[in-house]
Amino acid sequence: MPLSVIKSEGPRCSRNCFNCPICTAPLATSSLNPDPEKRAVSGPWVLSCGFCNWSTLELGWQFENKKNMHQQVAKLRNGGQSRFARTPPTDFAKSGGSEPPSETETPFVSELDDTPDAAFASFRSFYSSQLSASNPADPLLTPSGGFNYSSPSSLARIMSLYTGRSFGKKDTGKSSLMRETSDFSEGLRIVDPTCDDEAIRKLRTEGWTRTASVAQQAGQHHASNFVANLRPMPPLLRTKRSKRCRACRHLLVKPEQKVQSTRFRIRLVALNYIPTISFKPLQPSPSTELPPIDLKAIPPLRPSQFLLTLKNPLFDVVKVTLATPVQAPGRYSHKVTILCPEFEIGSNVDQWDEALGDGKSQRSSKFLGLSKVEYAGGESGRVAEAGKVWEKGRNWTTVVVEVVCAAITENESEEDEDVLEIPVFVRMEWEADLEREGKDEAKTERKEKRELAYWTVVGVGRVGKLGAASTS
Amino acid sequence: MPPKPRPTARGDYVETETGNKVSRKAQLYGTQHIFLSGRAVIQPSVCIRGDLRPFAPADPASSTASSGKGTSPTYATSVTIGRYTYLGTGSVLRPPSRLHQGAVVYCPLKIGDHVFIGEGCVIEAASIGDHVYVGKGAVVGKMAVIKDGVKVLEGAVVPTGMVVASGSVVGGQPARVVGEVGDGWGMYEGMEGGDMRELWRSVGS
Ligand SMILES: [Zn+2]
Ligand SMILES: [Zn+2]
Repeated sequence: MPLSVIKSEGPRCSRNCFNCPICTAPLATSSLNPDPEKRAVSGPWVLSCGFCNWSTLELGWQFENKKNMHQQVAKLRNGGQSRFARTPPTDFAKSGGSEPPSETETPFVSELDDTPDAAFASFRSFYSSQLSASNPADPLLTPSGGFNYSSPSSLARIMSLYTGRSFGKKDTGKSSLMRETSDFSEGLRIVDPTCDDEAIRKLRTEGWTRTASVAQQAGQHHASNFVANLRPMPPLLRTKRSKRCRACRHLLVKPEQKVQSTRFRIRLVALNYIPTISFKPLQPSPSTELPPIDLKAIPPLRPSQFLLTLKNPLFDVVKVTLATPVQAPGRYSHKVTILCPEFEIGSNVDQWDEALGDGKSQRSSKFLGLSKVEYAGGESGRVAEAGKVWEKGRNWTTVVVEVVCAAITENESEEDEDVLEIPVFVRMEWEADLEREGKDEAKTERKEKRELAYWTVVGVGRVGKLGAASTS
Repeated sequence: MPPKPRPTARGDYVETETGNKVSRKAQLYGTQHIFLSGRAVIQPSVCIRGDLRPFAPADPASSTASSGKGTSPTYATSVTIGRYTYLGTGSVLRPPSRLHQGAVVYCPLKIGDHVFIGEGCVIEAASIGDHVYVGKGAVVGKMAVIKDGVKVLEGAVVPTGMVVASGSVVGGQPARVVGEVGDGWGMYEGMEGGDMRELWRSVGS
């Protein structure tokens, strides 16, 4: 979308896209032509919703043309006028003076011409003409009433403000007083004390079903209380955004400029620097006769064991210390114990190193490959010990976490209160290899100690009902 | 995280030459018109209607489409599925239909790489991009276009003809944009929208 279009039309699509005012689904252009053979090529056309069957016929809108839907809709919205060609002040407006116009006196002012859009446009043109009349040399003002910072003359003016030299005709000393709008053509609308009576009567007679919801009203340019007045809305445009670090302004994310592209020029994501955490139940071996852990219903009041795996994305060995509150916060105090809170994770290996090295041995120790082997047979009979790592691979380490869930009292529990989430404090310490990072000024000391600590939350599952767990 | 399928016996899946793992309990119609790019996973009870094609060449039984007009090209494939794409149990893939000159016409359905389709979804999109995650029970309506890196929430109904911009999260009935995916979307193996090689590896072996 060109910037100029967005400036004049707002951040909405100005092509043929419209959303349903009732349900927000996109509207399709369909033909009303009675002959099905001709429907592909000839109208009349309407915009209709494939989701809720609403169509512009409910507003009495039909279109002769399949193209330029946006302009056609804008025209209808502005009472037959295209958006920018507003009626010039009429003779009536001049002769009528400050007398408030009423329906009987102004038969040519259609209901649609009296829209807030029209009022705003006349308001704007009135005040910008007032501004330019009182201060004709102001180059900052564009004819449309906006500010124009990009023209060289306005730049010169801004500079003159700072250098103190007078600029142009500005210093004539004459400044005429600005007046307020005084009649209809200038955008003045006198509030009629009885204007809401009609709406109140309608609310009484038509009831809830004909009243627009808050969401439906919010989607409109000008909120209307009634479903019958809702208009199709062009969808909002999407933007691409760069993001900077809020501490040091370093660019973290920068999408590619091209409109079609979904790639990034810069994308620094935390997961490239901190360990990936995964969490899964350590199923009890069949010999213990304990039921397997169901993450949708974790049994309360008895210990369940889970495997917490941290996978290291860095190319250095990392020392990790984990901490968790003894009791998880929230209304129910679930007891959480990390059996081995201090451990090391091996370094990540470059994909090139991996490819050039002994591929076979690397592959067999890959994250999922190994854990599956252990899953199939190794689990039976093994007991988790405090202070000992459960499993370790090239760049990952698994420790056991024991959780004793509190019983959830069913009658007073709110939505999602049975969700078990464990806050974990992760502190990592490693010696970064400066040589690999390309900083060779530190010749004497090749390694630099680094430290990082943060809180994170591990989502586990839901705590089961007490009764259900005891019967199974 | 995409749910890990339970380990299954080797014989439950047919592995094709290009590494596609197709459940023996999946229902594939018009297989000659379904193109699997390789290493896709098709779970039990998945139904793919490859037989719903734009123009049936002189075969009156298969389609009512008017074959003589020749205004649109004839598509040899009606359903295309990308690499490492996963179709969850019970999902239905139907090429989208539309009325054209009073007759039902089918358009091809294209799904990109590393796409996860959850259990029990109904997909009638015109196209779905790469690294798209479709939650359980979602419906993607006729001729909808889902761009790269999109998350469709569980139970969402993407209405007919909706175009979902890249990087959106959509949900609700009808679906609307409710957020944006994280900046790391699609970068990490095993996460929603991420690389699906491991998921493919873990199926049926
Ligand atoms: Zn609708
Ligand atoms: Zn920073």
